[in-house]
Amino acid sequence: MSIKPLSVPFRSLVLVLISFAALPSVAEKVKLDPGNWGHEAGSDCVSCHAKASSGLAQQWRDSAHAAAGVNCMDCHQAARSDIDAIEHEGQVIATIVSPKDCGRCHVKELEEHQGSVHAEAYSIIEKRLPALADNVGGSPMRAASCDQCHGSQVNVRGDGTLDPATWPNSGIGRINPDGSKGSCSSCHGRHRFSKAQAREPDACVRCHSGPDSPDKEIFEASKHGMVYAAHRDEMNLDAGEWVAGRDYTAAPTCVTCHMGAAGKLPSTHDVGLRNAWSLNTPVSKRQFLVIFEDGHKMELAADEAAPRRGTELRRADGTLGTVKTVATPERRRQAMTLVCLECHGKGFTESFMKQFDSVVELYNSKFGEPARAIMAGLYDRGLLTPTPFDEPIEFMYWELWHDEGARGRHGASMMSPNHAWWEGMYLVGRNFYSAFLPGARALAKEHTGTLVDAVLRGSEHHRWLDQPDQTSAILGLGRREGD
Amino acid sequence: MTAPRTSSGFITRPVLIALAVGSLGGVLFMAFLIEFDHYASQNSFCTTCHSMSYADERYRQTVHYNSASGVRASCGDCHVSEGIFAATWDHVRGGKDLFKQLFGPDYDDPVINALHLPEAAFAARRWFRDRDSVTCRRCHLQDAIQGTRADTAAIHREETEGKSCIDCHYNLVHRTVPDKSTFKREAWNRMVEEQFGLDPGAADRLLGGH
Repeated sequence: MSIKPLSVPFRSLVLVLISFAALPSVAEKVKLDPGNWGHEAGSDCVSCHAKASSGLAQQWRDSAHAAAGVNCMDCHQAARSDIDAIEHEGQVIATIVSPKDCGRCHVKELEEHQGSVHAEAYSIIEKRLPALADNVGGSPMRAASCDQCHGSQVNVRGDGTLDPATWPNSGIGRINPDGSKGSCSSCHGRHRFSKAQAREPDACVRCHSGPDSPDKEIFEASKHGMVYAAHRDEMNLDAGEWVAGRDYTAAPTCVTCHMGAAGKLPSTHDVGLRNAWSLNTPVSKRQFLVIFEDGHKMELAADEAAPRRGTELRRADGTLGTVKTVATPERRRQAMTLVCLECHGKGFTESFMKQFDSVVELYNSKFGEPARAIMAGLYDRGLLTPTPFDEPIEFMYWELWHDEGARGRHGASMMSPNHAWWEGMYLVGRNFYSAFLPGARALAKEHTGTLVDAVLRGSEHHRWLDQPDQTSAILGLGRREGD
Repeated sequence: MTAPRTSSGFITRPVLIALAVGSLGGVLFMAFLIEFDHYASQNSFCTTCHSMSYADERYRQTVHYNSASGVRASCGDCHVSEGIFAATWDHVRGGKDLFKQLFGPDYDDPVINALHLPEAAFAARRWFRDRDSVTCRRCHLQDAIQGTRADTAAIHREETEGKSCIDCHYNLVHRTVPDKSTFKREAWNRMVEEQFGLDPGAADRLLGGH
């Protein structure tokens, strides 16, 4: 089922990172012989479903799948032994079409997706999730919110039905009954699977919006979003091939920068591939992309030297993997930069990246690292219980990095001045100085000197606190000379 | 004057009495069967055995028990054929359930009951299929099905060739059991263990004990 005789897992990824050699910079076409699809029972499905839930049958009729002769059974067919196999109108099918199923034809996309931050979206947070989702929320909240983006661990009950606590779900890191991770329909709305729809920024909005990752809002507030809104009709969204700089130049969408082909840069279904930083962590790290021998991938903080080929590393889901190759943050940044260069000059691009990097570094050193050090001190001294979210300061700290801090960093990365400051770093600062620090001092009591003040003195960013007599008119109370 | 011997010799008084008694007996026997089949098709008869109360519990939550119009399908309406001979035969065959109730596994135990349910479901579905779902058709006339969704009528006209009601409409009244073709005993046992708070493997031991 490989695409080409010499195809290797993540061929395009490795080539990009190593050589940026000229590659076909277009979406991969399915190279399988059409004899592989067109299940004989498919027409019966459509005949009945044109009447029962006719919307989905019509969506399929409007799809490229229908045009190519790919029918319901080609995707939904299952083996009797499959854990989620059910009998339906004389056929053995599965309700869930997993990435593994899609990957029977879309080989390259599956390979790229597996191991990406999208595919691992559930595994990464699985152990951390209960403290917030279950303690502060409750299991119905998981099904309705967390799991809808991160994905659920789909539970097939002994009677063959899908547990409503875990299904329906199209979270992008969904753990499927067949063991595969992800849900293609998270971005590619079923049953039409429209290219244009997936290229729209709206394809990402369901999850990339709101207080912790307001990427929709940031994009819309940026020049990119402004230009997109004005020139949406020039985006050529329906094009078979969609290479930035060639097939469209009006504006970028989320896909353009994070996944799309641009110039000689090939497209990828590893959405995090071009991300040099982790931006949703208490302290941002430049990150390696570790590619394992078995094709899986993992983000790894680039604090230390890159792991060598052959090293064994433990992955998010607990399994061990053998390192095959590592993409450094510099190479990942280079890949992202190639997209920018389709529309921007080199100096412009590099200087923008410096502005962005500086914001992340500022956040880290001024707020992220000190706040983490203060929290660690409070826990070490037993001044906080180990259980998260049972003390107010834990919410302050959580929101500082997870919401406000992420907003500020994302705002800077995607050029929304409002989100970088007012919705982001301003709120980080307000939280830090007016709530978090007073809260920490109140808890630390006689240990304030070591647990709080010493940490603040370790960063030059807080020296201004030592100068309480600097007047300013900013609060609207400034005294004029002679008053 | 006496009647000719040749024609009247057979119809003697004892014969007449025998005929009268036989006819009356036959009528009474048929009446008994009718009454028995009727009696033995009632929910109250079936649930005399505690083991049937589990089936009854689920059934009471469905529209076959509670319908807005007050129509209620009894156990026998679905599970006993129409006609005195067929009905009697079904009851005779059903006697094996009684036999198993008395001499087989302890179906009154909810765990044992749940563990054995799939085989019972498969047998019941086969029974419906073998009779082309004739008991469904007592009430539901395929041509008359309108449904509440837009194209239910069209589906029942155009998409049912070679299909019997039970082929599509199973898991309607009793506890959900997968089709035999995709049934997984392992998963079923684990589910029952979880439901009743049993140790993993307990279900297999319980089944193996019988």
